[in-house]
Amino acid sequence: MFNTIEEYLEALKNEMKDADSALTHDAQSDAREHLTTALTIAREANPEISEADALKKIVEEYGTPEETASAYQEVERRTSPVLKQAVKPRSALGSFFGVYTDPRAWGALLFMLIAFVTGVFYFTWAVTGASLSLSFAIFIFGLPFALLFLLSVRGLALLEGRLVEALLGIRMPRRPLFSHQGMKWLDRLKALVMDKATWLMLVYMLIQFVLGIAYFISIVVVLSFSLSFIAIPVLQEWLGQGAIYDNGMRYFFPTWSYPLFVLGGFLLWTTFMNIARGVGQLHGKMAKWLLVSE
Amino acid sequence: MAEITAQTKKFQKELNSGTSSLVLLSVLSHSKEPMYGYQIAKLLEENGPDFPMMKQGTLYPVLRSLEENGLLESTVEPSVSGPPRRYYKITKDGRAALDEWLDIWKLTKKFVDVNLKG
Repeated sequence: MFNTIEEYLEALKNEMKDADSALTHDAQSDAREHLTTALTIAREANPEISEADALKKIVEEYGTPEETASAYQEVERRTSPVLKQAVKPRSALGSFFGVYTDPRAWGALLFMLIAFVTGVFYFTWAVTGASLSLSFAIFIFGLPFALLFLLSVRGLALLEGRLVEALLGIRMPRRPLFSHQGMKWLDRLKALVMDKATWLMLVYMLIQFVLGIAYFISIVVVLSFSLSFIAIPVLQEWLGQGAIYDNGMRYFFPTWSYPLFVLGGFLLWTTFMNIARGVGQLHGKMAKWLLVSE
Repeated sequence: MAEITAQTKKFQKELNSGTSSLVLLSVLSHSKEPMYGYQIAKLLEENGPDFPMMKQGTLYPVLRSLEENGLLESTVEPSVSGPPRRYYKITKDGRAALDEWLDIWKLTKKFVDVNLKG
């Protein structure tokens, strides 16, 4: 039997150790909400009752960790992330060109563009927040400020998780894990500072900045090259301009090379879409590793 | 129901997996205020103290999946004691789905009853 809510949550976590970590996260947060509420109410009704005795009845109604775990896994099997629909196995060539119909590739591309904006924002937020928290530490309001900052980091990490799941199709937590209810704010701050997850989230925010810029540059560069190649025949034939401009002189590519350029531009972009799909999956793995506390 | 075999348990679980969505949707459609998980669980207990049909813990994943399908919406609000609570409310789509589901439920009930009589 369980003496504390933490013991129950620990057992539930063990029970779900093979499950997706984001699902475990959701189950923990639901169980914590329910058990804490039930315990508070049981104690109001009977202040004498010990936590263990009260929990016995509560858990009986809530379900054992095994029952709870299997309920989550059951429902999860029926609702998987939107983009996770199995892609039919195709030939190598088919999957290379089929990238245009793969929502994951478009999602990854959009994510890479958005990562530029979010990366800059996260970086600014993390650096400003961290330096202000450090420098305010000598004032009375320094510690509450640090608490607010660290809480904002956890909030942003949850939001980023939603974005990752929506665009990359990687299952991420759907609700925050509140592990320090009923604590004084100073203890809360201590818990946040001691929690490895907070720091991993900060690391993610910094990495996102670098990656976001790299993603953005590669998209812009590859897109401009592809479009330029495809535009060469248009430029030369319809607008009568030589595609190469050097030292005041315009040079023309021969007509027979047009199909090669158009094909090259198309292949370049297709290759990039394939790479983007892979990068998106990798980024999702990284996000899961850094943002989902084990 | 003193002895519950694994078979029976499985049967019960399969039945619940459909009915719990219907029951939760219906409970929330009757409630004027948004409700949180514990409240819903207590209400179910009060409505049917003699039928311990499902464990309270199994309600939460169902609520979550209903929300994902747009039939419910939720907001998180801080509570005086303990972690913030997630309040669920039925959506317009949810009400439309409930109407359809109720029709299906009535038909199913009739179908099962007729066949059980033999």
